[in-house]
Amino acid sequence: MRILVRHGRIAIALGGMLTIGSASALAQTTVVLPDTSQTTTMSVNVSEQARVAVPAGISFNVTNIGAATPAAAATVTIDQVVLATATKQLRISLQATTASFTAPVTGATTWSASDVSWNAATWTAATGVGGTLSNAAFNTVATCSPGAAACSTTGLVFSLAPKAAVQRSGAHTLVVTWKVESIGS
Amino acid sequence: MLLLAAAPAYAQAPKGLSFQATLESIKIDARPQQVITRQFRLTLDADQPETRFKARVEDWWRSEDGARSFYGEPGTLRHSCAPWVSLNPVESAAKPGEEMIVRLTVSVPSEMASGGYWCALTIDEVPDPLAQQSGVGVKFVASVSTGIFVNVGTIDRAARILDLQVGSDSALIKLRNEGNAPVGIDGRLEFYASGASAPTATVVVPRGTLLTEPSLDGTLVAKLPPPSQLPSGRYRVRAILDYGAAHYIGAEREIELVRAAAEIPNR
Repeated sequence: MRILVRHGRIAIALGGMLTIGSASALAQTTVVLPDTSQTTTMSVNVSEQARVAVPAGISFNVTNIGAATPAAAATVTIDQVVLATATKQLRISLQATTASFTAPVTGATTWSASDVSWNAATWTAATGVGGTLSNAAFNTVATCSPGAAACSTTGLVFSLAPKAAVQRSGAHTLVVTWKVESIGS
Repeated sequence: MLLLAAAPAYAQAPKGLSFQATLESIKIDARPQQVITRQFRLTLDADQPETRFKARVEDWWRSEDGARSFYGEPGTLRHSCAPWVSLNPVESAAKPGEEMIVRLTVSVPSEMASGGYWCALTIDEVPDPLAQQSGVGVKFVASVSTGIFVNVGTIDRAARILDLQVGSDSALIKLRNEGNAPVGIDGRLEFYASGASAPTATVVVPRGTLLTEPSLDGTLVAKLPPPSQLPSGRYRVRAILDYGAAHYIGAEREIELVRAAAEIPNR
């Protein structure tokens, strides 16, 4: 790899010349004209912003603990995106709040957060990335394309890994955080 | 007579959360003892139920490959600005269609070494404790984070390209921050066929942030255009990056680009 000579920025200065003409003061009459030069400057300050719509939850209908169980496809939408530059991007990621599900009975075997994975879904105006849930880091689900006004998917499928050691039926629940990030200096 | 139909809870698909939020990173060139205030705004969609949100300030960093984000307790990083930030209110209920405002106050200490300090404002949805879920499932909550960057004293912006790799669908640019503050960096890649003076394709390198800890290194990823615009072949690829200094940085290398074959649709 060759490091290039640094490119200098190009600054162009436009110089102007002001010409003032003088006229004779003879035979002048002062006429008051309405001032039409008054203007009001209207400025709009638009913040970086977006509208976010995420599902409230997903259910795994586990009928065979020895096999992986997919959930119904989830929909995620980020729209009305306003960012400072065309190269900035919004990122959507996931992190579990605990290392494992809460079992219906204290002490019962249940699934780990890392037993939940998702597909590299097809997104509109975003790049989807398949991944596995963690409670230590936010793992990327999708990154909206630079300059995208909206990005979304209707095909995000979560899957629960087989866990033959599970012995208790009922509610095994896990709280997971959707993170929408626009962190950049 | 009023008839109420009862339905089992599991038959009702839970409604998701939707809201509008400001996502602007807060960037401040500050003097010691300066106090600056800013606002974060969130508006629930009109069809949403009242929802509680909790605001906090955290330390934030990314993995070197940029794929994972980490949030830690204030003060985890040496250059954390989290201890300088206070929030009001810390927790509040957002009503549908109404704007919820969180006010930030950044109070820069009197004696700080020159450099860039950063942290993140995080607004978390507070789970409804009464919400019941039957069966095996995941309850989602939403969270929004924006960056707070405070530059104190003399800032030295410096960055270096460590490596430039081009795969079949994307290009990776590895970088190192050699200054004393986080820098935002973006730019473009130009692909020149042999002997050509004009690029076959120009690719936007999306903006990323190079931090100064826990790692000086970071990676920018640029998605390549479709093979119809950038076919397989031998190219001279040139990276030109802007990190806000008085000059750009660049790197160039010869590559043999092999584009992935088109997928065969499932029958």
